[in-house]
Amino acid sequence: MDRVRFLELLVSRLLRTGVLMSGLLMVIGLGLLWATGDASCPSGVLSVSWLLFGDPFLEPSHVLFLGFFILIGTPLLRIVASATAHLLERDLVFALLNVSVLLILAVSFVLGVG
Amino acid sequence: MFFEISRLSAFLQRVIWFKGPPRGMQLLFTLYALMIALGSGFLGALLGLGGGVIMVPLMVFLLGIPIHIASGASIVAVVATSSAAASVYVRDEVTNMRLGMFLELATTLGALTGASFVAMAAESLLKTIFGLSLIYASTVMWYQLRNNRRSWVNKPNDWLAEKLSIGGSYYDEARGEQISYGVTRTLSTFGISYVAGIVSGLLGIGGGGVKVPAMNVVSSVPMKVAVATSNFMIGVTAAASALVYIRHGFCDGFVTAPVVLGTLVGSYIGARVTGRLRGMFLKRVFVVVLLLLGLRMIASGVGF
Repeated sequence: MDRVRFLELLVSRLLRTGVLMSGLLMVIGLGLLWATGDASCPSGVLSVSWLLFGDPFLEPSHVLFLGFFILIGTPLLRIVASATAHLLERDLVFALLNVSVLLILAVSFVLGVG
Repeated sequence: MFFEISRLSAFLQRVIWFKGPPRGMQLLFTLYALMIALGSGFLGALLGLGGGVIMVPLMVFLLGIPIHIASGASIVAVVATSSAAASVYVRDEVTNMRLGMFLELATTLGALTGASFVAMAAESLLKTIFGLSLIYASTVMWYQLRNNRRSWVNKPNDWLAEKLSIGGSYYDEARGEQISYGVTRTLSTFGISYVAGIVSGLLGIGGGGVKVPAMNVVSSVPMKVAVATSNFMIGVTAAASALVYIRHGFCDGFVTAPVVLGTLVGSYIGARVTGRLRGMFLKRVFVVVLLLLGLRMIASGVGF
């Protein structure tokens, strides 16, 4: 029970840090976009490699997308934490439920299409 | 084949409809988007609606943004507000986390389905569906205003709820007692949650308007628990949709970033004020506002 409580506090802190960090990245990215007047947000279907590594890395629009990603990662953290908590409590059915949700999210990202 | 067609259409839609704000207007455009998001986040928190329901039509009508891009910005903002709220209430006593985690499987699958469909759907179709959902939201709000105290009857768990042990109890502050409840017709609510996920992915909104009545009416979960549990699920559901939107290039930086920032600040202020303000008058106003926005959206979708 103590370990679970510790996990919850950790998640709470990580969620807050994630939201603040992504907000900061978005402010910086927008500032850079205005400053450079560079509107070259890539169009069409975005490649996974551009989203992760940029071209070049940390150009203004890539900074923005990293902000989006950190934000979208925050609910994932919660799921990872609860999967861990369920494993610790030997609640295999719910651990499996959490893992399947993570898998669905992975499919969303990699395929981008159902 | 399916992948190729949808990707091609996503590409065409973006190129034809939206090339980002014109060069000289980026700053102004960003500020407008920020203001719309601030207002919608604030009102959404006051009304207990997601900000997206108000934000998307305003962006479409006031800024002329294609609905795909507006929904893409909104869905990322939904993730933001949900995570910000969850960081404060990781464990409140009202949320039924087990029920939430079970239904999350259905909502994320639905979100993936709905968001994938967006790339293939025409602007007019999405506008019409959005319009219908606005009218639905208006009706639900009107219904809530009329039946303020619906009698709620506790029922025992059905077999699936028993097996997963997702019944629960919570401390009701208004009544001053611990209230325990069972979850009935779990499979039906699971199915409706899948539909809620589709709506969320398709329109870029949280979809609480579908999940809450499902849990409350179909599964006889107390209203407070249903609302809290729906909010608990929204973050992950929106994350699944947002990933699909981003991959299709429906998250434009100039729109999404100010919308996320504005919604975060707006809903934070809204949540602070909401304790001191009775929302009744505002709700009455919004029964009409949502209805009008819905009709306008359908008219625009049908081509008037």
